Amino acid sequence: MIYEVTVGDDRLRVDVAADGRFLIDDVVIAAEVAEIVRGRQWSVRLGQHSHEVTVLTHDPLRLLVDGDEVEASAVDERAAAAARGAGAARGGRHEVRAPMPGLLKTVHVAEGDLVERDAPLMTLEAMKMENELLAPARARVVRLAVGAGMKVEGGAMLAVLEEAD
Amino acid sequence: MRVIRTCREMGIRAVAVYSDADRDALHVRLADEAYPIGPASPRESYLRVEELVEVARRAKCDAIHPGYGFLSENADFADAVQAAGLVFVGPPGDVQRRLGEKTQARRLARDVGVPVAEGTPDPLRDLDHARREAKRIGYPLMLKAAAGGGGKGLRVVASEADLDGAWRMSSGEAAGAFGSSALFVEKLIERARHVEMQILADAHGSIVWLGERDCSIQRRHQKLIEESPAPSVDDALRERLGDAAVRIARAAGYRNAGTVEFLVDERGGFSFLEVNTRLQVEHPVTELVTELDLVALQLRIAAGEPLPLRQHDVQRHGAAIECRVTAEDAWRGFVPATGRVALLRAPAGPGVRVDSALFEGLTVTSDYDPLLMKIVAHGADRAEVIARARRAVRETVIAGLPTSLAFHAHVLGEPDFVAGRYDTGYVATHWPPPPSLRLDDSAVIAASLVAVLATRGRATRRRVAPPDGVWSRAGREEALR
Repeated sequence: MIYEVTVGDDRLRVDVAADGRFLIDDVVIAAEVAEIVRGRQWSVRLGQHSHEVTVLTHDPLRLLVDGDEVEASAVDERAAAAARGAGAARGGRHEVRAPMPGLLKTVHVAEGDLVERDAPLMTLEAMKMENELLAPARARVVRLAVGAGMKVEGGAMLAVLEEAD
Repeated sequence: MRVIRTCREMGIRAVAVYSDADRDALHVRLADEAYPIGPASPRESYLRVEELVEVARRAKCDAIHPGYGFLSENADFADAVQAAGLVFVGPPGDVQRRLGEKTQARRLARDVGVPVAEGTPDPLRDLDHARREAKRIGYPLMLKAAAGGGGKGLRVVASEADLDGAWRMSSGEAAGAFGSSALFVEKLIERARHVEMQILADAHGSIVWLGERDCSIQRRHQKLIEESPAPSVDDALRERLGDAAVRIARAAGYRNAGTVEFLVDERGGFSFLEVNTRLQVEHPVTELVTELDLVALQLRIAAGEPLPLRQHDVQRHGAAIECRVTAEDAWRGFVPATGRVALLRAPAGPGVRVDSALFEGLTVTSDYDPLLMKIVAHGADRAEVIARARRAVRETVIAGLPTSLAFHAHVLGEPDFVAGRYDTGYVATHWPPPPSLRLDDSAVIAASLVAVLATRGRATRRRVAPPDGVWSRAGREEALR
């Protein structure tokens, strides 16, 4: 299977052949790869070079490469082609998501409200700090998924706004 | 954990308390006895004074060490402990009150001839009062919680337009964290360094200073890196800071370990900030440089023993740096992160000390402070300790959640930090770094292979994992037999 891979700013095409050999940009790589901790940590020897690569997080994929953190991605070529075909996000619609896990102290808006750009939508308390979530644009609150006093996970959908003219 | 370790060494039995969220925590497992005190929310567990005292009584404790969070700077708690006939390991309640209210502490410092930054002499009554005082002192300024510390409720206000919002947020935070929403304003000293002096005072009037720590590497007023000696402090300034700290401690009737915080400006002038009436998170820096066990000294002082050393006995060797590794995503503006520790490798080797509560399998939640691990290095001089700390940070692996490690690794190799050119504005101007990091070709190839293997492995596992695992089925069959 062929993967489109990014490592930091680098883009590579990695082919894992059926016999387990690796081809990078169509060149066979002499790599000795050992999975040290299942799904988490690999030792990779490339010629005389020795590297340790750890998967820090999966989503986004962040790797620790010999002490340096780098963001990476690997998409199988067919899936990548399909994704490019799909349309871009609908314009004018904003999903407000929790930037971090925490407690919603206050919700300043209600469904149907028209809010100005940068108007406070809600106050999220996380790690004892209060963070105001602001409207990204002049918009109408078309959906409010949460209420004050609720505990939310990072990335949780809080509200949907639709840009107003 | 830190306290339990010293107790062990001194032959003292340690009793821990824990909230529901901390049932599996290391401090619970390492303690001789452990008692549950309520649900995760601090207000229903770690902040319940009466419950804590009751547990101590039930466990027949002699003394309570408050640690460095929660009730460690709560005068009422110190009083309650004393009233119950137990020893509080820290300054008595009245001393804490004298220093805990920041405007009062500033007055006390000024009275003994220690310079303080210009600010309001009393807590502000309301927003209008704040506006008038702010105009008098001039922007930019700091809005601070009068009852506070640790950066909570603290905000920089650049101009009058920002005062309204800052007031709302700060008073809310202060009320939540300290039970008092009182605020005051102080002139912002720009390009200042945050330098603090560690002191020890016994019950017999003897006070010594142990040396300073520079804690200027902060974001949102939370410290990330601390070091001693401070690059900006020479022997003469160190003496002056030590002397000022001792004068303040003496005037306050101080007892036990404490830290007097100062801002040092570009020309070596300084002004008093506040006193932290407890042991601080960054105390290992001083422990490594002075070769003293501060927790042991705290316990001895609390037991009424005289200080075993005088000022001229205090020796400082080499340099030390502490990195506070937190559950915060360094690449995304230090937003708090949560997750399960999937893989852990703490650093080791010469001159490295690790104070950590982490273990593989621990689920890091947003319930408490994001501090995960302290990596502290000690070396002969600043150059050696920087290289050592960097080496230690880069060999650390914490997988499963985003952390601040990338920040530490970067700063310890960054030219301005290495040259000692930094102040409290450092993080804002030096992080995130320009995207110049380029792995060498070989590392990029290794990373790309792992990117593929990790992605493919996950996809495969997800596809093949049956809804009812073969192992759980086997387990059930076993049970039925």
